[in-house]
Amino acid sequence: MTPASPIAPPAPVVATIGWLVPGAGYWMIGQKARGLTIGLTILVLFVMGLWIGGVSVVKAPPSVNPLTIIGTDPWFMGQILNGPLCFAPIALSRWLGAPASHARSQDIGQLYTAIAGMLNLLAIMDSAYRARRGATR
Amino acid sequence: MTPLLNLLAQAGEAYHYRPFITPAPVWDQWYVLLLPICLAVAIVYKSIKCDSMKRVPREALTLFVIILFVMAMAAGALAGLVKALER
Repeated sequence: MTPASPIAPPAPVVATIGWLVPGAGYWMIGQKARGLTIGLTILVLFVMGLWIGGVSVVKAPPSVNPLTIIGTDPWFMGQILNGPLCFAPIALSRWLGAPASHARSQDIGQLYTAIAGMLNLLAIMDSAYRARRGATR
Repeated sequence: MTPLLNLLAQAGEAYHYRPFITPAPVWDQWYVLLLPICLAVAIVYKSIKCDSMKRVPREALTLFVIILFVMAMAAGALAGLVKALER
């Protein structure tokens, strides 16, 4: 166990960094092994989702209003939790003219990408909690 | 790993498959795709819960097996229910 860092980053900063780069919140508080394990696992799950369903499994919502997003494209609420990473497939999909995903491949691709995001939400909350507690184990 | 490698091979042979652009033709092997997602959930959950990262591999593997076992039991129970209702 390493001693507690004298200057612990504030929890909101850790949470924001954890959203921007999955697992990076743990890295900031000195828990590099935990951050690397969680970050890589989330990244692999997200990329697998894109492989299964194609980049068009992540669709740009028609509005920034959360209620509209829930009504039209509820999976995006989970996918956005992966951070800015989730905008890459949207841009790629438009740039490459990728066809719409369909059937079971779409379902499984959406499930993978959204679960990756929800796992990142757990990681964000835990890293922020640990930052607030001042743990560096 | 063999089922996953077979999936990749089939994906290359089937229709005009372009990785990451068109959906991978894995609709008939959907059950194999249960394994990576269960493993990922087990790894992330145990990485969060365990105080020491040294305990994570063993505990994540145990949780992975438990998830698969419970899902198989639930699937069996639901299949049995459907068969019973069909009679």
